[in-house]
Amino acid sequence: MKDINLKINGKSYRLSTNEDMRLIDVLRDELGLLGSKEGCGEGECGACTILMEGRTVNACMVMAFQTDEKEIITIEGLSNGEQLHPIQQAFIEIGAVQCGFCTPGMILSAKAILDKDTNPTREMIRQGISGNLCRCTGYAKIVDAIELAGKLLRNGGNNCEA
Amino acid sequence: MKREIVGKRAIRVDGHSKVLGKAEYPQDIQKQSMYHGKTLRSKKPHAYFKLNIDKAKNLKGVIAILTAKDVPYNHHGVLFKDHEIFCTNKVRRVGDPIAFVVAENEKIAKQAVEFIEIEYDEIPGVFDPIKAMEQSAPIVHKESNILYHYKIRKGNIENAFKQCEVIVENEYRTGMVDHAFLQPESGIAYMDENTVVVCASSQYPHFDQIEIAEALNIPTENVRVINPAIGGAFGGREDITLQIHIALATKLVGKPVKTTYSREESFLAHGKRHSMIMKYKTGANRQGKLVAMEANIIGDTGAYASWAPNVLRKAGVHATGPYEIPNVKVDSYAVYTNNPFAGAMRGFGAAQGPIAYEQQIDEIGRKLSIDPITIRKINGFKVGSETATGQILEASVPYIQCIESVGKALGLEQKEGIR
Ligand code: FES
Ligand code: FES
Repeated sequence: MKDINLKINGKSYRLSTNEDMRLIDVLRDELGLLGSKEGCGEGECGACTILMEGRTVNACMVMAFQTDEKEIITIEGLSNGEQLHPIQQAFIEIGAVQCGFCTPGMILSAKAILDKDTNPTREMIRQGISGNLCRCTGYAKIVDAIELAGKLLRNGGNNCEA
Repeated sequence: MKREIVGKRAIRVDGHSKVLGKAEYPQDIQKQSMYHGKTLRSKKPHAYFKLNIDKAKNLKGVIAILTAKDVPYNHHGVLFKDHEIFCTNKVRRVGDPIAFVVAENEKIAKQAVEFIEIEYDEIPGVFDPIKAMEQSAPIVHKESNILYHYKIRKGNIENAFKQCEVIVENEYRTGMVDHAFLQPESGIAYMDENTVVVCASSQYPHFDQIEIAEALNIPTENVRVINPAIGGAFGGREDITLQIHIALATKLVGKPVKTTYSREESFLAHGKRHSMIMKYKTGANRQGKLVAMEANIIGDTGAYASWAPNVLRKAGVHATGPYEIPNVKVDSYAVYTNNPFAGAMRGFGAAQGPIAYEQQIDEIGRKLSIDPITIRKINGFKVGSETATGQILEASVPYIQCIESVGKALGLEQKEGIR
């Protein structure tokens, strides 16, 4: 047992954790943040991708005790209520979502790319999502969506018609 | 006519919930005071076994252990009921389900599975579908391992091959493939008064309802199947996996029962794309026109039939590919082995063939010094073509245009001097 303090989506939590608990277990089982998905449990698929200190990590590969004093963003922290984040808007606009199981992780990887540069090349986007498997889309629309999201962010909104 | 839907981009109805991370997959469903289930699976491909669950049953936190004895009707399967829900005394593949532990939490359920004592008496297995077709091969089910044989006979191949300028003969093999849908199988079942409710990702909920009702020996109106969000399927969720297990469990213990497979168990649990062995003999005249083709296609369906007859029929029907061939002989077979079972996967038997017939036509082109685009244009289906099964293609056959576009995109049209 170890007590940890962490900040998730801007909210502070104090939790006692078992040593065999992973971050994905904390998110899903302890806090009910079910948007992070577990596709493999071994760092292969990226469905559990979240942002820790602004960088993408696989929540299935991080132990809970390692998150002490860390700041974490999950898919639940992206939208402003029902108001979609431009990346989320772009994903549905382009049709980059099919079964949706990769989507939360994919969107957070997209955020990490666009946080660095809102005008990335397609190659940079591909690099940035290389840790996220999608079995449905074939990736082309995901890359398109991230490009569009960059444009929306540069224009400061999520109006896809503009 | 003004088109309002066709040609327009539609926003999918579940897009919003999916980008917000709110879409509910079976993994995400929680119920008050629910139990967790874990499946014991065979580690041997072909064996008789004896089971002792006493030690596991006495573990603290174990609620129940289900085996074949607990299933009123212990059979399921989409075409033939050749799967047992829990194997009675014989396993036919690695991964066959043998027992299902219900426990207070997942950790205890996993531990209890380790505590089940199982004694295997291994028998010879068969893993090569060609050997499986021989009389002397170990039999996977009853009688023959040959589950299905499909034939096409068109024209006269013997005479036709005699007239060919070139004949190409090759054998092609493809491996089994897993769908690897991103969401591993998961489901939760609970009682709603007299009704067993099963929430699981499925491609076939109405058929699941029938199979659950049959296995539990209750009327279908007492089974409700709910399909929440599904994390991909691609054919891999057509055969039932955990649905009957959790239905039996909740009916027995009266509380919600949930199970979620690891990626590893997911690989063990569901069917695969059929691996195929394809022997092709293809002949053409001097102008490059295909004249005769003989194909022998053997699909390894592993330990269970699943959709094998349909898949191997499709492989047979499509054996010529999109090419006109007047003389055709096709034999396709589905064969039982002790390998992982195979079933539906995108293309459903039509995806393996191109590896054979496209390489055949390339080789014929090479021998006759005809480039890959031209040889396809000479032979490709167009409106009015007759397929190997005698169908006349009456409309919408843009294969030649497609091949011309490919040629242009590759820069071959100019280079090779093709019109
Ligand atoms: S679940 Fe974490 S990488 Fe697949
Ligand atoms: S949308 Fe299904 S895995 Fe990406």
